[in-house]
Amino acid sequence: MLYEAFKLALKAIRRNKLRSFLTVLGIVIGVAAVIAMVTVGNGTTAKVTSEISKLGSNLLFARPGQFGPGRASTTAKSFNARDVTAIEDQVTGLRAVAPLTQSSQTVIFGGESRTSSITGTNAAYLTALDWDIASGRGFLDSDERGGRAVCIIGQTVRSKLFGSTDPLGQSIRVGKISCEVIGTLARKGQSGMGSDQDDVVLMPLRTFQRRIAGNTDVAVVVVSARDGVSTSKVQSDLERLLRERRGIIAGKEDDFTVNDMTQMLETVTGTTTLLTGLLGAVAAVSLLVGGIGIMNIMLVSVTERTREIGIRLAIGALEGQVLTQFLVEATVLSLFGGLAGILLGLGLAFATVTALGVPFVVSPAIIILAFAFSAAIGMIFGYFPARRAAHLDPIEALRHE
Amino acid sequence: MSEAPLIEFRDVAKVYGEGEARVAALDGVSFTIDTGEFVAIMGPSGSGKSTTMNILGCLDTPSSGEYLFAGIPTTTLERAQLTLLRRHMLGFVFQGFNLLARTSAVENVELPLVYRGMEAAERRQRALAALARVGLSGRADHTPSQLSGGQQQRVAIARAIVTDPAVLLADEPTGNLDTRTSAEIMELVTALNREQGITVIMVTHEPDIAAHARRTIRFVDGRIESDEERAEPAHAL
Ligand SMILES: Nc1ncnc2c1ncn2[C@@H]1O[C@H](COP(=O)(O)OP(=O)(O)O)[C@@H](O)[C@H]1O
Ligand SMILES: [Mg+2]
Repeated sequence: MLYEAFKLALKAIRRNKLRSFLTVLGIVIGVAAVIAMVTVGNGTTAKVTSEISKLGSNLLFARPGQFGPGRASTTAKSFNARDVTAIEDQVTGLRAVAPLTQSSQTVIFGGESRTSSITGTNAAYLTALDWDIASGRGFLDSDERGGRAVCIIGQTVRSKLFGSTDPLGQSIRVGKISCEVIGTLARKGQSGMGSDQDDVVLMPLRTFQRRIAGNTDVAVVVVSARDGVSTSKVQSDLERLLRERRGIIAGKEDDFTVNDMTQMLETVTGTTTLLTGLLGAVAAVSLLVGGIGIMNIMLVSVTERTREIGIRLAIGALEGQVLTQFLVEATVLSLFGGLAGILLGLGLAFATVTALGVPFVVSPAIIILAFAFSAAIGMIFGYFPARRAAHLDPIEALRHE
Repeated sequence: MSEAPLIEFRDVAKVYGEGEARVAALDGVSFTIDTGEFVAIMGPSGSGKSTTMNILGCLDTPSSGEYLFAGIPTTTLERAQLTLLRRHMLGFVFQGFNLLARTSAVENVELPLVYRGMEAAERRQRALAALARVGLSGRADHTPSQLSGGQQQRVAIARAIVTDPAVLLADEPTGNLDTRTSAEIMELVTALNREQGITVIMVTHEPDIAAHARRTIRFVDGRIESDEERAEPAHAL
């Protein structure tokens, strides 16, 4: 019986191809939006995740203020160089501890200039991030202690400012100061979030604080745990030490945050989740509109086919059999919409993902979900028209027209 | 069970509309029909013939009075039970043919079997046999619009008999047909009655068609004017 209903449904849909197509357009758009969104989102997440695993899962980031999905406060007081030293001395199992302060500055050499990210840090920073020196040298203790005006430049800065000229030993202008290029960094490429990681200038923390920032703040402390050392132990040691140093009494909340990479990622994707939710709402509305479209067209269909329904009922169809027929028809219609939406969505996602240079990650779960969802829409919105068909009085229906 | 007549109308009335528009389509009609009978129903247009057929076919219900099928008062049956009664006991040939448009002859004939849940191969075989019975073997794949009036009427008859019903109800089955086609259809109906023992109740207003039946009930203004048996029914031409 279900098979018969299925055959009839296909026949009815084929009979009204254009109308059927227009009817399911809402479903097509809704499903396509969801599929495209989720697929692109999956690709981006996959890329970010793979980069993080390249960076190593043993990194911890301490920042002043409270961060986390849905909350951010930056009113807490900054870290300083003494905090960094204290961490080096008192937390065990560490491979590298690096302070980090950043600002955007104009970098000039010869006739070329560009705005790049300037980072004040130390030699341990490159160790923590497994970042190699491509040419020249890294920071020496004397550079750091003396706050010397030296810098290491990323590959983008090198190629944009120097072209084919050797930058080593040259003086560049960073903001208001002039500093000597002592090294270049190995190429890192785009970050998972799409920013150019090679568009950087590194200088010793003290130089940055004195000559650029004009204060002694440290924005972030990057800590790399030694292999085999549990990051959660390091994390709690770090938190204990920082609470002590910042004079936070028991029972009061931290005024700083220590995250590992996955937690950082969650903070970052927190905003994407919001965006996904918003687009999801748009998709839901368009699916609802699609459902109403199906209900409308099924009601029209029931009216048009009143006589046919009368014949079926008169000839021995039970109410349930007529109900099934129309329910199956609405469901098949909606499933076609879902299928078209899935294909369209995957197509859109593929185009987007290719443009972004992100992997194409198809999630079978979301496809099954989209399919199930469109079937459910057909059933829910097809029920009322189908019930109307089933409840027709056969003799009245036969007199129709 | 065996004492009860197959069909019994007890003082059946059917009223349409209210007030000014009130029409008494049937006004106290009583009769019984036994298994194996061949009854012609005659009468002028608007006398209540189709109304009677619709009630007999359990498609419509009396406003008052009672219709008993095999002794069972049909008013006590629920909608689904009436559907099952129609499905298993009754074959209906409508005044208009009431075939499904854009659907082949054989699929039209199969339809009652589909709802019985019969499997496709057996269904097809029985539908083709019924079409052969009405002389339409070569037209199984034609849709109603590709068939003449007489051929459509035969498809309608094939659909009514494909289920081997106990009762064949036919409302003016030869209404729009030429004399020769009418004669062929009457021959078929007579044969179904004689050879298969199907009870036939048929509406017609042509006396020579009614002459095939052993019994004629004549309606006037929603009442039975006469109910006569004939000793020797006519044979088909
Ligand atoms: N659905 C209906 N609504 C109102 N009046 C009806 C309806 N069906 C039949 N009638 C009236 O009932 C009477 C009997 O109709 P019907 O049984 O169709 O007559 P016949 O088949 O003998 O020509 C007619 O007067 C007709 O107008
Ligand atoms: Mg009539």
